[in-house]
Parts: sequence; C-alpha cells; structure tokens
Amino acid sequence: MVSKDCVAMILAGGQGSRLGALTKNVAKPAVPFGGKYRIIDFPLSNCVHSGIDTVGVLTQYQPLELNTYIGNGNPWDLDRSHGGAYVLPPYQSAKTGEWYKGTANAIYQNISFLEGFNPNHVLILSGDHIYKMHYGEMLKAHKETGAAATIAVMPVPWEEASRFGIMNVDEDGTIVEFEEKPKEPKSNLASMGIYIFSYDALKRYLTDDEHDPNSDNDFGKNIIPKMLKNGEKMVSYRFEGYWKDVGTIQSLWEANMDLIADPPLFDISDRRWSIYSRNMALAPHYVGKGAKIINSTVTEGCTICGEVNHSVIFGGVTIGEGSSVKDSVIMPGATIGKNVKIEKTVIGSNAVVEDGAQVGTVEKEDNKYASAMCTHGIVLLEGGSVVSANAEIPKGSMVTAE
Amino acid sequence: MRRRDTMGIILTSEDRIPPITDIRANSALPIAGRYRIIDFVLSNMANAGITNIGVATETNYSSLMDHIKSGKPWDLDRKNWGLNVLPPNLEKMTYGTIKGNIDMLAGISDFIHRSGQTYVILSLGNSIYNIDFAEAVEHHVQNQADITVLYHDMKGAEETELSRFTLLELGEDNRVLDMEVQPYYPKSTAASMDVYILEKALLESIVDECSARGDRDFVKDALIKKMGGMRIFALEHKGYTDKIDSLKSYYKNSMGFLDADMRKDLFNPERPIYTKTKDQSPTKYGAEAEVENSFISDGCTIEGTVINCILSRGVKIAKGAVVKNSIIMQDSVIEEGVDLDHVVFDKEVYITKGRKLIGQDSYPLAISKGTKI
Repeated sequence: MVSKDCVAMILAGGQGSRLGALTKNVAKPAVPFGGKYRIIDFPLSNCVHSGIDTVGVLTQYQPLELNTYIGNGNPWDLDRSHGGAYVLPPYQSAKTGEWYKGTANAIYQNISFLEGFNPNHVLILSGDHIYKMHYGEMLKAHKETGAAATIAVMPVPWEEASRFGIMNVDEDGTIVEFEEKPKEPKSNLASMGIYIFSYDALKRYLTDDEHDPNSDNDFGKNIIPKMLKNGEKMVSYRFEGYWKDVGTIQSLWEANMDLIADPPLFDISDRRWSIYSRNMALAPHYVGKGAKIINSTVTEGCTICGEVNHSVIFGGVTIGEGSSVKDSVIMPGATIGKNVKIEKTVIGSNAVVEDGAQVGTVEKEDNKYASAMCTHGIVLLEGGSVVSANAEIPKGSMVTAE
Repeated sequence: MRRRDTMGIILTSEDRIPPITDIRANSALPIAGRYRIIDFVLSNMANAGITNIGVATETNYSSLMDHIKSGKPWDLDRKNWGLNVLPPNLEKMTYGTIKGNIDMLAGISDFIHRSGQTYVILSLGNSIYNIDFAEAVEHHVQNQADITVLYHDMKGAEETELSRFTLLELGEDNRVLDMEVQPYYPKSTAASMDVYILEKALLESIVDECSARGDRDFVKDALIKKMGGMRIFALEHKGYTDKIDSLKSYYKNSMGFLDADMRKDLFNPERPIYTKTKDQSPTKYGAEAEVENSFISDGCTIEGTVINCILSRGVKIAKGAVVKNSIIMQDSVIEEGVDLDHVVFDKEVYITKGRKLIGQDSYPLAISKGTKI
C-alpha cells in the first residue's frame, strides 16, 4: 500500500439554515457562488493546488445535489487511481449506525477510511468558507513545529472578536488558550475551522471523545480544549488574506459583491490558483444590442439584452430588453423577462421573474413576503420560484417556490 | 437512441487559412469563442452514443492532440474504444505521402479493421453543424442504402459559393445520380456536407481497392466511379452548416454566431457542444465598458468598447479601446486607446496603446499568434 502524507476531510454536512430558502434542497457547500462556482469548489481547489490529492467529503444534510456535483472528482483533477475525491455519507455498520453527531464524530465514523491511506497527517476543513489558502505551507509549518495539531487563525476586527472562537497564543504562535465566543476577548486571532492533526493524536483523541458520554463530539467544543488541557503541543498558523464564512443571506450577497469591487476584495481570476468547478457545457454569453453591462461579471450561457450594473450573473441566465439589474446575484438558469427592475436581490437557480415585475425596489410597511433572514433590505427569490408579471416584491422579502 | 453499432472517423482537413492555420490543423481552429471547429463533429458523434472515434491527422497535429487529449470533455475516455488521435502512417500509403483522403484512410486501416462496429460515419473535420447522427444512421439502415451522403440545400446561393462544395445531382427518393467536386459551373444546389454513412466492411473494401490502384480521392475515385453499382442516397440536413475553408468563410461563420437563430440551431441544449474546459473565472465588465451585439467567453476583462465581436477566453480590452466587427482569440491584449475594425487576431496578439488596425468586411485583417504591434 502507498501511504498518503496528508489526507483532507471536508465537513460538508451542514444545513446552513440561516441561508433560508437557498438551502432548502441543497447543503450549504453546494450553494452557488461567484458566477460559476459552488462554495465547496474553494476548499477542493485549494487542496489540489496544495498538492493534496486525497479528499473525503463528509455529507449528511440534503446530499443528493452535492454528491452528483462532486461525482468522480474529475473537475478538480481528483479522479485518481489511488486517492482522489470520496463522498462519505454516514452509514450503517454491524455494531452501530447513526447520523454524524458532531464534527468530531463525523471524522471518527470515517477512521477506517483514513486507515486505508495510512496518513501521517489529516487536514480538517469546512465546506462553507470562501478563501484561497496554500495548505501545503501550513502542513510544512505543522511538520517543522512537530505539533500535535496546527490551527489556522486570522486576525479579525476587535469589535467582532466575540463572535468567533478565539485563540490566545504566545510569541512563538503556540496556542495557550482557546475561548469560544468570549465576551471579553484577550486576542483577535480567530480560528478559521482549518486544522491539521498528526494522525496518531487525532485518532487517540477522537476515540476517547467518542467514549465520553458528556461530549458534543465537536472539534471546537471538545477536542481542541481537551488537547490543550492535556498539554499537547498546539500551534497557530497565521493566515492573512480574504476569508469569509457565507453563513447568512447578507454575507453571501456581500461576498459576491466583494468579487466585483474595484479593485476586487477577493480575486478569483488568478490563473496560477484557478478555482475549478463542474462545467455546464454552455456557449459563450451573448450581449445584445441595447444591452449595457458595467462593474459586473457574466459567464457562459447567458443572454443579456438589458442593463446590468454591479451584479454577479451565473451561467445560463437570460435578462430581457428594457430590464435593469443592480447590486444583485442571479444564480444559474434564472430567467428575467422584459422591463423588469431588480435591486439588491439574490435570485436562486431557475427562478423566473416575469415581464414588468419590480423586485427589491421599494420599502413597504406590511410586506407579506417579509423575512427575518433577509436583513439589510436584501430580497431572496428561492430557486424555481416565479414572480408573476408586474408584481411588486418589496425590500427584505423572501419569495419561496410553490 | 445510442448507436453503439457505429464508429466515427474524422479526417482533419487540409484547407489552409493563413496565417491562422500556420500553427495548427484547420480542424483545431478556434471558433465561436470557446470552441475548436472539430468540437462540433466530435460532440455530434458523442451525443449519438458513438463511443469509438478515430481522428486521422496530417501534419501539424500537436495542437489537435493537446485539445483532445484523453477525450474526457466528450465523455470518450473509455475502457473499450474511446477517442483516438491517429497520426499519419506514411508506410501504409501508396506513395508515402498524403495526397488525398484515401491515403489518410489507408494510413489508419489497422484502426478501422480492429474496430468492432458495423457502421461508420465518415466526416471531414472542418464543418460546423449540429445534427442527430443517431437518426441519420437509422435512416441509412431503414433506407437500405450502401452509402448515405449528408447534404444541405443551398437554394439561392451564388454560383461562386456553390463552387466551394461537392454538388449532388439527385433523382427520385434523393438517390444520388452524379457528383461534381467543386465545379466551376454548378448544376445543382445540393451541397454535400462531406459526411458519409456506410458499412465498415464497405469502407474497408473501397479503401483497399482504391489504394491498390493508386487512387486517392474518396469522392472522385470511389463514389463517382461506382455510382452505377451502388445505392448511394442523400439525406438533407435542414439546420445550419458551412465549411471553414477560407479566411472569408471563417470570418463569415464566426460572425454568424451573433445571429440568435444560428446560435439556437448550433447550441441545441438537447445536443450540447463540448470542448476542453479552461476553468477561467467569469468575464469582468469595468465601469466604462460598452458592449453590444457580441459573443463573449469566460476569463475576459472588458473596460473598453466592444461592438459586433467574438471574444475567446481571457481577452483583455483596456479603457478607451474600441473593437468592432472583429474576432479576437484567446489571451490577446488590447491596450488603451486602440482602434480595431474587421480584424481576426490569433491567440496572444498584443496591441500597444493607441494603435489603429482596420480591415474590410470582404478582407478582414488577420494577425498571427503572438504578434506584438
């Protein structure tokens, strides 16, 4: 057997309930992002560029679309003879058979998968963050320090530090304390949910944790504190760069807008670090007579005959004559009719906005579509929903499919 | 229907279009932004469920091999059969060089021989069309034809246009009575698409016989001479098709993609056209971008004005640049204030600040790969 130095495990089972109608039928990592990607394309592409060719994707919530999307891993060059991409749902075994109870339990249930590759190190990733990172550099640092675990951290604004898991480190970067959402943070270094464990230590702690009936079987809540308590060497790995948890409708919208800022806050056009995605085999996009597109991105399969200003348009979208789209994100296959006006709206896949409709243009006191998840006046149209001709959808609405 | 009983043979074309075919086979020419000409015939075959395809090449095939590689984009990287690029086998040719398509077929006779399918679709690799090959083969079988020739009726076309094609004289039930290869005075408007359906065994015997006699042309030496003894029928393709055999036709067909009907016909969602993917990010439009009536691939950055153009992947158009009626291939860079009209740029052409290059509709200005002006 050929051993793998490092195997990556992507936790992709999360529901992402704060994304509302966007995650009704798909897991959060499968939510479209950035014009032609899904959120999980980012950790997958990072793995490949970092020289990690064996990736387990742990799915649980609404896994169908994610499973189909990952397939044999070919779009990420992860269709390998030894290694590659593996979708790992929970399964029944002779003794037990249960859902993944927590992040740590999800990995524990797949110990036998890891054993098959006899890895020296295991990289644990989350399937719902947007960033570009060279895990190989982190792995190198992990090996140099000889730590039992290395945790990626990034500085966050002090006023937001109490929303994160905060690492208190000494001058060498060794972690001395971990505080989950501290009221009075002592440091502004937030854990990014990216861990490299030496496999032996990981296996030991996961097994112990599994036998602890009081444990939530969670990395942040249980494994990391336990390792610190036991005096294991835990080192931080500092990351400076763009990193975003797109957990809410507002943050998903904002992260899309970050791509079209001038200059972009997050650059995905660097071809030395391409983000790979499953290709839809669509023709180039057509821009019609009378169309106007500025400060936006448009991709394959679109037909644009209206105005697009400061928006991210995904594949296969049609925008009719006389329509205008501003500050919006339109996901694959959506159809926008003629003379439609859309502002600050996230439109789900294959949604239809019929002629003359107004979406997100006005505020309204008693709005039957109002949703607490649609903050900052953002409108969300669920994938497959239909806004009928000349309808008016006020700001802060969530429109669901029939 | 999946035609597992049929194999495909694509003969890459020898029509030269300088300077854009200097570095590649005609079939590997970029077209419609993100495609190569051969993608159309390859995708048509793959969509019909054909899993054994041979691409016979002449010289200059490295670009083609790089494009096709394992055949993955067409789902043709198979354990059994799959997609095979077949470099010329000069030893098998009568005179040791390629002078006609019989030479190319003789050069790949081993490949044809060991293929296990009953029928063959034989096509030249320089035409664009989207056709249901499964249905065409079924028609061929039901019709009990020896050979079926696909054609396109060019009623109303000028004589000079017709003279570019092999024209078919058709009798009752579309039986082919005569064929003329690029006649100066065309007698018919039925233009052959250079796509033939026949049994593999028949193809092998034709190639063997022609080769043994020193004959070199599949149409002139085989079909025309054997017209009397064989049931040769024509099958009309009513959708769009044309062959790319000159700069003029390259320009005209490329610009054709700005027409909604042509796009709808060639990019039928039921029969997608596949190509090698490049994983480029979506195209970015800047604050001063003005784009109209254009067909634009991914990975471009557009800050200037683009009107009536076809842009391949990764093209950069700077602020204040104006590009009209042009075809710009992959990774070309147009700097500020440049003025372009009726140009065809090969890959990686670099136009520095303020330059002006103007071609004409009847004579577009073509610039070869990597040129810096």
